[in-house]
Amino acid sequence: MNIAWKEIKRNKIRFLILGSIIFLVSLLTFIISGLANGLSQDNAALIKDLPNGVFYMDEEAEETYNLSRIDRSIQDEILSKHKEAAALSIQMGFLNDENDKQRSVAFVASTESTLFENVKSGEIVLDRSLEEEGIKVGDTFTNNQYSSKFVVKGFVDQKKYSHAPVAYINLKDFKEIYRVEEMQLIFMPGGDLTLNIPDLQSFSKKDFLNTIPSYSAEQMSLNMIVWFLVVISGMLFAIFFYMMNVQKIGLYGILKAIGVKTSSLFKMMWTQMLFITIIALLLSITFSQVFNMIAPKGMPFSLTATTTGLLSLVFLIIGFIGATLSGIQIKKVEPLQAIQQGEV
Amino acid sequence: MTVFSIDEVRKTFSNGEVKEEILKGVNLSLREGEITALVGASGSGKSTLLTIAAGLQPASGGKVLFEEKNMTAMSPEQVRKIRACKFGFVFQFAHLVPFLTVEEQLMLMLDVSELKLKKDEQKAEIDKVLKLVGMDHRKKAYPSSLSGGEKQRVAIARAIIHKPKVLFADEPTASLDSKRSKDVMLLIRDLTKTLNITTLIVTHDEEMLSFADRIIKMSDGQIAG
Ligand SMILES: Nc1ncnc2c1ncn2[C@@H]1O[C@H](COP(=O)(O)OP(=O)(O)OP(=O)(O)O)[C@@H](O)[C@H]1O
Ligand SMILES: [Mg+2]
Repeated sequence: MNIAWKEIKRNKIRFLILGSIIFLVSLLTFIISGLANGLSQDNAALIKDLPNGVFYMDEEAEETYNLSRIDRSIQDEILSKHKEAAALSIQMGFLNDENDKQRSVAFVASTESTLFENVKSGEIVLDRSLEEEGIKVGDTFTNNQYSSKFVVKGFVDQKKYSHAPVAYINLKDFKEIYRVEEMQLIFMPGGDLTLNIPDLQSFSKKDFLNTIPSYSAEQMSLNMIVWFLVVISGMLFAIFFYMMNVQKIGLYGILKAIGVKTSSLFKMMWTQMLFITIIALLLSITFSQVFNMIAPKGMPFSLTATTTGLLSLVFLIIGFIGATLSGIQIKKVEPLQAIQQGEV
Repeated sequence: MTVFSIDEVRKTFSNGEVKEEILKGVNLSLREGEITALVGASGSGKSTLLTIAAGLQPASGGKVLFEEKNMTAMSPEQVRKIRACKFGFVFQFAHLVPFLTVEEQLMLMLDVSELKLKKDEQKAEIDKVLKLVGMDHRKKAYPSSLSGGEKQRVAIARAIIHKPKVLFADEPTASLDSKRSKDVMLLIRDLTKTLNITTLIVTHDEEMLSFADRIIKMSDGQIAG
């Protein structure tokens, strides 16, 4: 006979409250982590989606990529040695459409490479989000610093930088707009971090992401909220089960007196904890996935199955730990305690 | 026949620095199919003796012999097994499990005592015992909907369903009126006789003593006379 289940059936409200709290906290955690992931994608998909590799920037730039000017001779030397490497520059700027409406974009130009779009002078390739805003292939754009016009050649998926859509342009056009000769960065896919190049500073992809000022601040605060929520839910588990166990001291004593094993009492508690948590998690997974699907297009929200699964696992583990810690008192209950305390 | 005996049992409680000897070497043997009643002034150590005998708390010295084995030398797990399979308990309050029906209380006891009955055998056994205590009409009731006397009868049913060798009862009638008390005592006597149980009962109630086969008086932590 399953007494764990009988108790849930008889005390529906109590377990419903516990379940709904776990549901709400886990849903909130899923949504925040979806938001964190969405924002990070929105902020740096251009860099994040690159294969693993090493970035180089000018040592004198002090980790600020748009102050970096890589000497032409060094660049030529590296690029001739490493065929897959590419030099690139990124600069925030504006595009004006035919109605003079201004759009903020991240201009990206690179040397010939399969990792970036290579466009001809006067052409432009844009992030897909702009297509969703109604821009079509063949539309033209101008820029205050640019003498000619950009013609839209096509769109690419998931190319965002600093919360703006990426606009790939030709190196020549980039140099005209920003009046620079040197490139800011060299990216070496699969590169070796320990490879020292004089005058250049190397960064792993992750380190480079963290040099984007808004990126690290944003991710740090969101991830802190996520872990905070996870810790809170662990404490909630512990407190809730503690309170339930305190109420049940007499019952545990009586069960022990008639010969129920302490391990059976723990199993009873674990069964209840798993039952409640799994149902609550299934519900919040469903809700967050629905939210993932119906979230408005402009909302940076991206919740992968891996993240959800991982967080669910963390919830289960932390719930287990919380319940078990609070259950240590079960071990201490003496059968006599209950009998001497009178009616339960 | 003696299946249960207590040999020079001592119990000392220490409240901080002060040590108090509550049981000062108690000897007692119980006979099968007999009710032994333990009487004495409040605080004389009756409950302490009964709970030590029942393996619910350890003794400070002496032996508790059940089926010729010394329980005071056993591990807690061994004592638990004996409690689960060989002993039955009734206390002043019924101490039923609040979220189980009458029937389920008994089923739990059958599970705990590891009798390994089949489902329908369990059902039959439960029906039989509930009839014995006159509670078969309330099989599906939860404790909260039972009267005090009814709860106590269910508690007795739970104490005997697994056919224990020894039944311990500490003031089983204290929370009942005199009519109900008599019913409960009659029931305990009948069960003791028909199932050949060894029964130890603590009571304050003079009237209940007429149901006992033997009366043992305790005073100040010792058997008096
Ligand atoms: N856990 C304990 N710690 C300290 N003293 C205890 C403890 N349990 C019992 N005592 C003391 O032991 C003495 C005997 O208690 P016990 O409960 O055995 O008496 P009793 O004969 O059952 O009394 P009553 O008829 O009132 O139930 C009492 O003085 C009591 O205060
Ligand atoms: Mg007493």
